[in-house]
Amino acid sequence: MGIILETQELTKYFGGLGAVRKVSFTLIQGEMLGVIGPNGAGKTTLFNLITGFLKPTEGNISFRGERITGLKPHEIVRKGIARTFQIVRPFHQLTALENVIISCLSPREGGQGKKDGRVEEKAAKLMESVGLSGKEGMLAKDLPHGDLKRLDLARALATEPEVLLLDEPFAGLGLMEISSLSPLIQQLSKGGHSIIIIEHKLREMMKLVQRVITLNFGEKIADGTPEEISRDEKVIQAYLGKGGMTLAAG
Amino acid sequence: MNIFLEILVYGAVQSSIYALLAMGFCLIFGVANIVNLAHTALYMIGAYLIYSFFSVLRLNLAMAILLSVVSTGLLATGMYRYCIRPVILSEWSVMMITISLAMFFQQLMIFIYGPADRNVQGFIEEKLALFGMVDIDAQRLLTLVVSVILLVLLWLFIYRTRMGKAILAVAQDREAALFMGINSERVYMAVIAISAVLAAVSGAFIAPTIGARPEMWAPTLGKIFAVVVLGGIGSLEGTILAALLIGYLEVIISFSISSYFGEIVSVIVILLMLTFRPSGLLGKRIEA
Amino acid sequence: MPEQNRRSTFFGERVGLLIALAVLSAVPLFVKNRAIVEIIILANIYAVYVASWDILCGYTGQVSFGHALFIGGGAYTAALLNFYFKFPPWVTIFLGGGVAALFGLIIGTPCLRLRGPYFALATFAAAAFPYGLTDVFWEVTGGLDGLYGIAPIWPTLEGKYYLSVLLTAICCGLVYLGGRSKKGLILKSIREDEVAAMASGINTTVYKLTTFVISGFLAGVAGAFYSHNQLHVGPETLSINLSVLVIIMSVVGGIGTITGPIVGAYLLTIFNEMMREWEELRLLIYTASVVLFLLFLPKGVLPTLTDGIKQWLKRKGG
Repeated sequence: MGIILETQELTKYFGGLGAVRKVSFTLIQGEMLGVIGPNGAGKTTLFNLITGFLKPTEGNISFRGERITGLKPHEIVRKGIARTFQIVRPFHQLTALENVIISCLSPREGGQGKKDGRVEEKAAKLMESVGLSGKEGMLAKDLPHGDLKRLDLARALATEPEVLLLDEPFAGLGLMEISSLSPLIQQLSKGGHSIIIIEHKLREMMKLVQRVITLNFGEKIADGTPEEISRDEKVIQAYLGKGGMTLAAG
Repeated sequence: MNIFLEILVYGAVQSSIYALLAMGFCLIFGVANIVNLAHTALYMIGAYLIYSFFSVLRLNLAMAILLSVVSTGLLATGMYRYCIRPVILSEWSVMMITISLAMFFQQLMIFIYGPADRNVQGFIEEKLALFGMVDIDAQRLLTLVVSVILLVLLWLFIYRTRMGKAILAVAQDREAALFMGINSERVYMAVIAISAVLAAVSGAFIAPTIGARPEMWAPTLGKIFAVVVLGGIGSLEGTILAALLIGYLEVIISFSISSYFGEIVSVIVILLMLTFRPSGLLGKRIEA
Repeated sequence: MPEQNRRSTFFGERVGLLIALAVLSAVPLFVKNRAIVEIIILANIYAVYVASWDILCGYTGQVSFGHALFIGGGAYTAALLNFYFKFPPWVTIFLGGGVAALFGLIIGTPCLRLRGPYFALATFAAAAFPYGLTDVFWEVTGGLDGLYGIAPIWPTLEGKYYLSVLLTAICCGLVYLGGRSKKGLILKSIREDEVAAMASGINTTVYKLTTFVISGFLAGVAGAFYSHNQLHVGPETLSINLSVLVIIMSVVGGIGTITGPIVGAYLLTIFNEMMREWEELRLLIYTASVVLFLLFLPKGVLPTLTDGIKQWLKRKGG
C-alpha cells in the first residue's frame, strides 16, 4: 500500500497569476482523497496539471514512482490516470454507448492490447455498472444531467484506470441523485481504485473520503482527516473570511 | 546606396499598406469575432473604383478618392448587414460566406472590367529625387505618407474618442460592454466601415503602382494573415511591427533573389511562426 | 427504438449508394452524347476531391482552404513524370497521391494544432506557394498554359469512363466505410470535443495528421487522374478557385456526411457545365448562387432533403 500518485512543489503561473503554488501532496493506493477550497483556489488547475492538459511552471508529478510531468494527456490516460470534468463533456452527436466505446479504444500501457470485437460488450457492461442500462442508443445530447454524470464515470472507467480524478461529480445533482451516485463511487474505491475528488458539496464528500487537502489561492493550506479539516482555522478562514472564526465558534 | 534607399522606401510603402489592411482585419476580428475573408476583396474594389472614377470618368482626384472610399464603405456595411449578420453565430459560416463573396467580387470585376490588368495613372506623375541620389516616384511616397497619416488617425480614434473607447470595450468583453449601455451593433458597423475605408484607401493609392487585377485579393489575403500571425491579434504595436517585418522582407528578397520568392516569404513566415511561436511576437495565443 | 431508426437509415443509405453506382455504371450504355459522358467523368473526379476534403472537415472538424494543394500536387506530379519520363498512368497516379500525401505531412504538422479560422487561413496561404512555382519554373511546367500531351488514362471514352467510376467507387467507398468504422467514430469524437477525446486517451494529433495525409493522398490520386483525363495539366489545378470550389460543393451538398458533398459535386459540376452557353455570366451566376445558397439553405442540399423526407414520412405515419 504505497504512494501511487505524488506531486512535488507543483506550480503553475499564468503570466503574473499564480494559480497553483508549490503544491505537494501524496495519494496512497486505494485511498480516497478530497480536494476542497473556495472558487478560484486552483483545484481544477491542479487536475489539469496532473492530467497533462497544462504544463507546470515548476515542480513534478509522479505516478507509481515514475515521473509523468510534461506528458501529453492521452499518454497519461494510457498510464492509468483518468478524469472527469467539472462541466460534463460528452460527445453530443454520438450515442451514449459510442461515448463509452471511444474510451475503450485506446490500449493501456502494459495492458493486454485491443480486442476489437469485444469493445461494444465492454462498453455495455460499463454502462450497466453505472446504472445506465437501456440508454445505450440515446444521443448524448438527449440525456439528462444526472445520466451524463454517470456516463462520464463510465467513460473514465473504460480506460481501465488505477487513479480516478473526479471533478465535482455531484455538481448540479439533487440530494436523491447524490445519494444514489455516492455508493457507486464508494464501490469504486473498495474495488481498488485510488480516487481524488474535488467537491463543493462538503457534507456528502466528507462522508466518502479518508483524507482532505485544502487549497486557497493556489496554495495547500491544510492536509488531514475530514474531522481535522472541519476544525482547521485556516480552512474556515478561507471559506468564511476573518469573521468566520466567530461564526464557526458561535 | 541607390538600391539601399530604394529598398528603404519600397519596404516602407509595402509595410504601410500591409499595416492598414492587417489593422482593419484585426479590428473586425478582435471586436466582432468575424473572420472577414472578403477584406482584401474590398481593397481590390477600392483599386477598381479609383480606376473607374479617376481614369475612366476623369473626375477630380479628391472627388474620385472620396467616392471610391464612401462606396466601398457602404458596400461593406451592406455586406455585413445582409450577408454576414444572418450567419454571425457560426465562425465557419462567416468564413464561407465571406470567401464566397470575395470570389463573387472577383467574377464581378472580370465581368465589368475584363480579366486583364487595369492601369491607373499616378496621382502625381513626377519622380522625386531623394537625398539627391535616387529617383522614387511620388506616387509611392504619397502612398506612404497617406498610410502613415491614416495609421496615426486610427490610433487617435481608438484611444482618444468615445466611439474608439467603446470599440475597445466591446473587444475586451462584449457582455460587459452591453451592460454599460454600449450598443454593440453600432460598434460593429463602425468597425466594418472603418476597416473598409482603410482597405479602400490602400487599394486606391496602390493602384497606380501595381494596377487593378481581379485576382489581386487572394495573395494579399495570405500576406495579411502572415502579418496577423506574426504580430498577434491583440496587439496594435505587434501588427505594425509585423507589417514592417513582412513588408521589408518581401521587398529585400524581391530585390535580391526574385519577386516570386518575395511573394512566398509570407507563406514561409506563417509556417515557421506557427511551428515555433504560435503566440506571435507580442500578441495572444491562437491555438486550441 | 432509436437504435432501429439509425440502422434503417444506415441501410437506406447503403441501398441508395448501390443504386447510384448502378446508375453510373449504366450511363455509357444509354447515353450516346459524348459530351455528357465527359461531364460525368468530371463529376466522378470532383466527387473524390470533395469526399477527400470532407474527411477532414466533416470528421475532424478542420476546414482546409487549400485543398487544391493536394489536387494540383498530384496532377503536376503525374503530368511531369509522364511527360518527361514516360511513366505510365498507373504509376503516376500512385506517385501523384504519394506526393500529395507528403504535402499533407509537411503542412499538417505545424498547422493542425490551430483553431478553426487560423487553420483555414494557414492552408489558404500554404496553397498559394506552389501556384507561383509553376510560373517560376515555367520552362519545366509550361507556366500559365501548362503542359499538353499527357498520356490518356485509357484510349477509349468508355474505358475512361469506367475507370473514373472505379476511381470514385474505390476512393469514396473507402472514405464512406472509414467514416462508419471505429476510426471514424474517433474522428467524430475529435470533431465534437477534442479535449474530451484527449481525456479519453486518444492521441488527437496523430489522428488529425493521418486524416490529413489520407485526405491528401486521395485528392492527389484524383488530381493525377484528372491530368490523364484532360491530357493536360495547368495551374488552375493549384488555384484558390479550385480550393474554394471544393468547399462550395461540399457546403451545397451538406458537410460532414460524405454523401452530401458527393451529391454537391455532381450537382454543381453538371450545373456548371450546363451553363457553358452563357460563358460570360457563368461564373458570376455561379458565385452569386453560392452566396444565396449559404444564406438560404445553410444545411446543404442532402440534409435538407433527408430532413424533408423524414418530416413527410412522419406525417404519413401519424
